[in-house]
Amino acid sequence: MNLEAIQKTYRRYAGVYDMLFGALFEPGRRRAVEAINTRPGQRILEVGVGTGLSLPFYRRDARVTGIDVSPDMLAKARERVETQSLAQVEALLQMDAEATSFPDRHFDSVVAMYVASVVPNPRRLLAEMRRVCVPDGEVVVVNHFASNHPLMRQFERAVAPLSTTMGFRPDLELPMLQLMAGMDVIDIQEINAFGYWKMVRFRNKGGMNGHSTRLAAAAG
Amino acid sequence: MAVDPKLLEILVCPMTKGPLRYDAERQELISDQAQLAYPVRDGIPIMLIDEARPLGDGQR
Repeated sequence: MNLEAIQKTYRRYAGVYDMLFGALFEPGRRRAVEAINTRPGQRILEVGVGTGLSLPFYRRDARVTGIDVSPDMLAKARERVETQSLAQVEALLQMDAEATSFPDRHFDSVVAMYVASVVPNPRRLLAEMRRVCVPDGEVVVVNHFASNHPLMRQFERAVAPLSTTMGFRPDLELPMLQLMAGMDVIDIQEINAFGYWKMVRFRNKGGMNGHSTRLAAAAG
Repeated sequence: MAVDPKLLEILVCPMTKGPLRYDAERQELISDQAQLAYPVRDGIPIMLIDEARPLGDGQR
């Protein structure tokens, strides 16, 4: 799935996204922002901000930047910021989550909700999230991870070809994500009863950031 | 529409992570290292490598 295909998909979805997926994804968005909201006055990056469904949840003293590859989704997010006067949102920008335009160590927290399965290369996504995060900052990922349950795995494999047309891969493994991230896991929480969606919080270990730009480049 | 100067201060080239300079006349952010120009539309920079204009030899 290349960026152009993703943009095309979300051009179709932009108008109906909130209606289709708003309620479904809301618990995960709330939980992730709640976790971030425990700290005051942070500079925060939301990767894959989409129509900005989670933007109203951030505390008012936060300084939030949202990025998305789809200009149509971003237009909806800008509408939301304006109509709801969301002063905590500093900027909404069109960027590639795997190659952003931010300097190293720029954000106190970096969060990606329901994004890791729709980017072309989750490894590069995580390397980039880590690069722009300050040492000891927090990287938060909400996503579906491949189930350990044999029946569920069978189901996931069966729907995999279908998901490709939807631009969603259900086969991202949690241990794989941890390995890719190369960061310390703070905790893993189940978002819903069946644990279909999970929230993983990483601590960005200090000391690695000097090489992070090269790491991000090498991860591709 | 001009780009937010605070934003210009922080943005780097998505390819090289090197500096960008703003060409107000052409409404582009130029990465000399990558030889790419990122378009600015309605004051909003489009920071995608795929949508950047490669700088030709004769252009600047």
